[in-house]
Amino acid sequence: MKALRPIAATLVVLGILAAVVVLSRHHRASAPAPAPEGATPAPTPVPASLVLFFPGDDTMLHREMREVPELPAGTPARIKLVVEELVAGSRRGFAPALPWPATVQTVFLDREGDAWVDLSPPPAGAVSGTGGELALAYATVNSVVANCPAVRRVQLLFGGQQVATLGHIDLSRPLAPNPELVAP
Amino acid sequence: MRKTIAIVFAVLVLLPVVVAAVTVTTPQGAQEVFARGDLLDALAVLRLAGVDVQFAAAAGSYNASAGEHQVQFTPGGSLAVVDGRLTRLPGPLRQLEGHIVCAPATAAVLLAPFGWTLNGSGASLELAHASAGEQIEVSVVRAPTGTTVVVRGTKQRPQVVATRGVVALQFVTPVTLAKPVVPEAELLGGDLRGTTLTLRLAPGAEVANTYPLDDPPRFVVRLGTAAPAAALAAPRAGPLVVLDPGHGGGDQGAKGPGSELEKDITLAVARATAAQLQAAGVNARLTRDGDDTVSLTDRTALANRMQATVFVSIHANASLARGAHGAETYYMSADASDAQAAQSAARENASASPDTVQLILWDLAHVANLNNSARVARSIQERLNALQGIKDRGIRQAPFVVLTGATMPAALVEVGFLSNANEAARLALPDTQQQIAAALAAAIVDYLHEPTPTPTTPAGTPTP
Repeated sequence: MKALRPIAATLVVLGILAAVVVLSRHHRASAPAPAPEGATPAPTPVPASLVLFFPGDDTMLHREMREVPELPAGTPARIKLVVEELVAGSRRGFAPALPWPATVQTVFLDREGDAWVDLSPPPAGAVSGTGGELALAYATVNSVVANCPAVRRVQLLFGGQQVATLGHIDLSRPLAPNPELVAP
Repeated sequence: MRKTIAIVFAVLVLLPVVVAAVTVTTPQGAQEVFARGDLLDALAVLRLAGVDVQFAAAAGSYNASAGEHQVQFTPGGSLAVVDGRLTRLPGPLRQLEGHIVCAPATAAVLLAPFGWTLNGSGASLELAHASAGEQIEVSVVRAPTGTTVVVRGTKQRPQVVATRGVVALQFVTPVTLAKPVVPEAELLGGDLRGTTLTLRLAPGAEVANTYPLDDPPRFVVRLGTAAPAAALAAPRAGPLVVLDPGHGGGDQGAKGPGSELEKDITLAVARATAAQLQAAGVNARLTRDGDDTVSLTDRTALANRMQATVFVSIHANASLARGAHGAETYYMSADASDAQAAQSAARENASASPDTVQLILWDLAHVANLNNSARVARSIQERLNALQGIKDRGIRQAPFVVLTGATMPAALVEVGFLSNANEAARLALPDTQQQIAAALAAAIVDYLHEPTPTPTTPAGTPTP
């Protein structure tokens, strides 16, 4: 019987540890997670609007205002929202800019203001011609820069890969907004 | 016996719970770092290496920096931006009990740009200054199909900058040469400066393609032979126009509702334009004169080697805006990134030690080419506007790959929209193709005859 005492003691210690872990997790779940160093508290959500760009029959990009329930404070969340609204399409009858259900997989923002936006890749044949590529690239770049003050240029990635081109446009480098393609 | 079993049981059960740290040996001594199983605190290890790590709330990512080097990564992701280049990490970074953790292999990749290595396994790791870096070895493999230069000893995929006679491999982390580069076949020699390995090639040799291989890790530079420049750039009377029929071979380009193919239309228009130019006394060559696959860079390279006066790439457009119609003409955009690329290309072109005067002259030549590209584009667009009855369409700028490396005035014309059923049907008609060709030829002749104050590139200065 004496020999079983260490086992009993072990089980008691394990029980205490388990209780500590459970209580600690419960505490963490109920309390807000500590913000990483440098983070700012989230602002109260207020209705806001986004500026989006969609291609028209005149082959130019057209501005479209889009009311959203709230404008996320962080750049990554705001870029995701912009892409979601571009994918949702124009409400004024313009053509699709991102003609597939693109999702933002990763976003980085570097010191120079270049946002690295990793989109799920377009299916084969979804983007065709210079018009299709320019619409994809610059509707996204112009929309992201217009809504994210911290972003100066956008480096598009597809499926976690840097893509040299989809056929015509050089996508190997970050793109700045192209005002020449925007309808007056 | 029972007592022994019980003690062993207690040790085995409690050990993983109690051990929550890994010992990292650094040049300053041993340090305990938070760990869970195979995962260790990535931020703590970076800080042990003297790397400043900050969370950028706006970007949602961590920024690690020391000296000129910078690495960005996001918890939950397996990608990082290392000194401005996208890098796939061996494993993801995770948030665990208030720490950002990852496997040692991932931490090693994050540390590498800062000149540190992380070796070892289990509860003991060693953080050390990287020696001079990976030891690489350059060798040449000769085959009937061509010569291949193999760089062994690295898993890195260097950035390749190829110019005439020289190919530079820019590695992310330091490397050293295990032994000097031995000249063989088309490889005349090589030098390593910093993280850049420069290989010198024999006249006529050029990079066909590059790719990494595994088992063992190596990077391969396959060489091809350029057509003799003397033959291509033979003395000629008058200007030479290189016309580039877009797409071809396996790349059919855009497709119209009536199965009209862009590659067929561009070839027909290019052939007809060349014939019209020849009739007007202007030399013209095509980048492809059949249903061939030609890479974008090879098209521009051909025009460069032939020292063409003008380069015009001919395409047919497509858009999801079904009402889109009419011709559009583009030339290369000149935004900041292009200027940076131009400067970088100038440095590569100039010499190992760039000369400021040469760079300024190169810049002037680049600006002159851009201005002349705009003139070519405008001339083409005006003629096509007149042909198609469009009054208000101007020229535009965009970063087209096929225009990027052109060392002469260059433009890309979209002769119409194949996504528009009416226009697609018209573009497939030989009469329409002849009309477009006549407009293009007239526009090019207009440009060639228009007097302009074109600054010439001084002798010995590389053209952009």
